[in-house]
Formats: sequence, structure tokens, C-alpha cells
Amino acid sequence: MRVEYINPFVESAFNVLREVLNSDIQRGELYLKSTSQPVLGVAAIVGLAGDVEGRVLFDMSKPTAIGIASAMNGEELKSLDDLAKATITELANMITAQAVTKLHELGFKFDLTPPAIFTGDNMEITDSKVEALIVPVILPQGKVEINVAVRERA
Amino acid sequence: MMERVMDTVTEENRKDKLNKERMEKIDFKMVTFSLGGKDYGIDIMKVKEISKADRFTYVPNTAPFVKGVYNLRGEIISIIDLRIMFHLPAEKKKEGVPENIIILRLDEYLIGVVVDTIDKVVGISSETIQPTPSLFGDINIKYIKGVVNHEGRLYILLDVDRILGAEREEVRKEIDTPLLKRIEEKVEAQDNHHAVDFSFIIDTLATFKKFTVNSINETWVRKRFDEWKSDRAYKGEDFQLKDPTEAEEYLSAFYSPYTGKFWAEEYCKAFESFLPEMTGGAFHVWNAGCGNGYETYSLAVLLKSRYPGSMVKIWAHDNDLLNISNAPNLLVNPEEVPEKYRSFLVEGKNGYQFSQAIKDSILFEYHDLLHQSSFPEVDIIVARDIVSFLNPSEQEKVFSEFMDKLKPGGLLFLGQNEVLNLEGWEMVDRGTMKAYKKEV
Repeated sequence: MRVEYINPFVESAFNVLREVLNSDIQRGELYLKSTSQPVLGVAAIVGLAGDVEGRVLFDMSKPTAIGIASAMNGEELKSLDDLAKATITELANMITAQAVTKLHELGFKFDLTPPAIFTGDNMEITDSKVEALIVPVILPQGKVEINVAVRERA
Repeated sequence: MMERVMDTVTEENRKDKLNKERMEKIDFKMVTFSLGGKDYGIDIMKVKEISKADRFTYVPNTAPFVKGVYNLRGEIISIIDLRIMFHLPAEKKKEGVPENIIILRLDEYLIGVVVDTIDKVVGISSETIQPTPSLFGDINIKYIKGVVNHEGRLYILLDVDRILGAEREEVRKEIDTPLLKRIEEKVEAQDNHHAVDFSFIIDTLATFKKFTVNSINETWVRKRFDEWKSDRAYKGEDFQLKDPTEAEEYLSAFYSPYTGKFWAEEYCKAFESFLPEMTGGAFHVWNAGCGNGYETYSLAVLLKSRYPGSMVKIWAHDNDLLNISNAPNLLVNPEEVPEKYRSFLVEGKNGYQFSQAIKDSILFEYHDLLHQSSFPEVDIIVARDIVSFLNPSEQEKVFSEFMDKLKPGGLLFLGQNEVLNLEGWEMVDRGTMKAYKKEV
């Protein structure tokens, strides 16, 4: 993945999460991955197009998702209902959009697709053709893995 | 005397007869066609039909050799252009002139391939299929089943399953067979003191620095071992490597000249002596393990001056995020760089950097060599002192990736103390520097 793309994604993930959750967050070590990977339970996906092609995946466990949605809505949510799902989708949208805005300022043109959310047990995502950058973020509610796979259009 | 002549004559008659018998036993039919002026054949059992068509529906985001999809009596089939796939010249058809298409039946699906002209069906005996000679440069050798001589014409028999992916698994298995042997066993067999000490060095280098000792660098490691031993004895220290720092010290002499620095004039000259003559067109480079970018910028400056009329593009990869993060906006002190580089520098608000033209020719990517990458075929690969730091199975993977990514006749540059002794690579030795040419 192009070096210039990395920082905008990492920074905006931090800014947005810190702002919406209003709590202390930590960053794990960044790394690259290209094999199929298990999804923790809830995955929000935003597609990218334009100068590049790819996608950003936000992966977290169900309790983490409920925790984040509760914190963002300011009320205790019991299950992953429509409101909780919409909240996580919105979070994915906010982070990706901020990253894309930053990239635009650097001269790279990206478009976003509307986010989609996947939930279920024992899910796996396979796209071995693309190498993904993993940005692990540790929140009080649990761990969120941001999985960015972007490549230049050939 | 007469008898002997008779003998030879009968012998020849016998041979002729044998040949005729072979010719008569027709058990293999192929459809012949031409691509870029040469004759090719495909097993007729794989061919469903032959047709003419044009105006394929373009599908975005596919490989360049995919022409699109086509509606064959209600069935949607994809159409690929073999000429583009094999980098052969393709004559532009006029608007409205249909292309010649061979429709192939692979295991479960149909696929259409566009060819120049379709010739005829030729029946031969499968015994006359000869193994592939290694001179066909245009097509990757693994896609060729063999060569057939029929009525004075040579046909190259293509292996469609291989080309179109049905036999991917088998190809992979072939790659898996060990090409590079570790030398440990050899060392232990000698069973003397020196050998035991040496095998200990091999193990510690692997543990501390992930450095694999094998045929690629064995000569250097042995030479260095003797030097190191006498050096340490002189200092009154044990020669065994106790920690990563000592392992690094052992390897300090391994790295190629100008690692982490800009290449000096004479090193550039030596490098340039390998480069082909070229005017115009594109020149693609893969710089694997570019580190902090000094090597990449050196290459960019060198190639820009060498090929002023061409489009130079360098894909620079490293899996060390910290190192490569600074590479795109590397700050340079003009006092410290060789003369050659100065004209390519511009002053920015933080100091001197390389000009936009140089930056635009380089794409720095955070990428692991062992993962899939997506860039077109390249003319040269520069991977100095990288493969020695991979384990043997990773090395095999990387060399087959190098093989795939390089154009036929392209050059691979390894480190100063690395030697490649692998089938398919031909060493080009120019004294101060070596390169490996992908055999065609």
C-alpha cells in the first residue's frame, strides 16, 4: 500500500474515535496481512474508488459494537438492534470520510461507497489478492481492527 | 565394404518406415492458428467451436488481456486476447471487421480466445510432439505443451488448461519442490571441529538476524568465518555470536556498497553498463526492500539521466513502516550528495527534496514481499541483500515471483555477496557487479 495513504487512515481513526467516545484510546502495532481472516462478529465495510480501488473494513466483536453504540448514543443499548447497527455504520463512514478528506488535501482523489454492515458468527473474509494494512485500536469497550486494503489502479 | 553400405541403406529404410508408421498413427488433432506471425496449435478436444465476432461488451477493472464478454447464443462467455496476454503485436482490426475466435471448453466453463487467423485442423501422432525447446521468448515456457513438426511447419502446442488457470494447483505444486537446498546437512557430514563451529554460526545467524545460509551466500559466509575467527582471536574474544549485535557485526561486511546511502558515480556507472539501449517507451523497475529510499532515488536519478525520453516508473517496497514512511518526502543535504544528483533537487520549505518529476516516477509502498502485489511486468528488479534474510521456502516463493514479474530477458540484481544458481537465470558478470538475466 502506498506509504502516503497510511497516516491519514490512522490519524482519522484516532481523531474520530477519541471525539465520539470521549475516552482514552490506544494504538496497537500496524502490520500487513494478505490471507483470509476471521471476522470478530461485526464488520462494517466502506468501498473506495477513484485513483485507487479497495475497501476499509472495521472489525469488532458484538459486545464491543454494542458498547461503542451505547457510548455514542448516550444510552445503554441491550442488543445489536437497528439503532446500534446504524451507529456503527455511521462511525465507519465518519472515519473513512475524514481519511479521504485528508487524502484529498494531499492530492489523491478517492470516492466512497455507502457503508454496509455484516453481522454473524464464524465469518471469514477472503481476498488474498489484496494486501491489507491492519490498524488495531484498543478502546475501553474492546478492540477494533481497521483493515485497509487499497491498491493503485493498474 | 559393399556389405556395410547395404547395412546402412537398410537401416535408413527401417528408420523411414518407422517414421511413416508414426505419421500414419494419427491420434491427436489440433486446431492451428497464428499469433503475431507464428504458428500455434490447441488440442481439438478443448475446442468447442470456431466463430467470428466483434463488439464485445467491455468489463471494467479486468486484466488488460480480457476483451470483455460476449453473448454466444444466450450463453455469456468471456473473451480474452492471447496476443495481449503473451505481449505479442496485435494488428488493429478496422471497425466492423469481426475477430477470429476459438471457443474453448475448459472443465466447467467456456472461454473465447481472440487470435490472428485460424488455419486448419491438423492430425498428428501424439508421439511426434517434441518437448519444448527453450528458445521461445514470447510466451512463458510453462504454457507450452510441446512443439509439433507437420509438413515442414513448426507448431507450438499451447497448454490451455495452464494458461487459463484450470491447473493452477498443479503449477503451484511444481513450485513447491525445493529448489534451494540448505547446506546444513552437507556441513555436518564432514564432522570435524571447524564444521561444527561453522554450523553453529549458521544457526545463530538464523536466530538473531533471520539470515539464511545457503547456496545464495555460502561462499561469503565461509570466507567471512575465517576472517572473523582470526579477528576475534586477535582481540582475545570467543568467535561465537552471543547476541544480535555481534551477529550484526559479523554481517556488517555482507551488505552491498552504498546501502542506506546515495550511490556514488562509479557504482552508477557499473550499474548502467547492464542496462539495455532504449529510446522512448516505458521502463519499469521493481525495487524490493527499498528501505529508507536512498537506493530508490539513486535508481530514479540514474534512469532519468540514462533514458531521458522514456517513462521511468519504479515500484519501491519495504515492510519496515518506520523506514519507508520518510521516503516519499526525504530531505537531502545538497552538500552531501554526489554531483550527479544536485540538478534533480529543489528547495522546499523544510529543505532540499527531489523534484516532482523524480517523485512522480516512484511509488513507495508499504508491502510485504511475500504477499500478492499488483503492478505490471518490469524490466529490472533490484533486490539487494533481501533474499538472504528470508527462510528457504520464502526464498522459493520470492524467486518464482521475480520470475513472473520480470519481462523475458529482464535483469535481476541481488546483493554484492549473493549468488543465484537457479534454473532459468543466466548470470551476467561484469567484474565489479553481477546481474541475473531471465532466460528466454
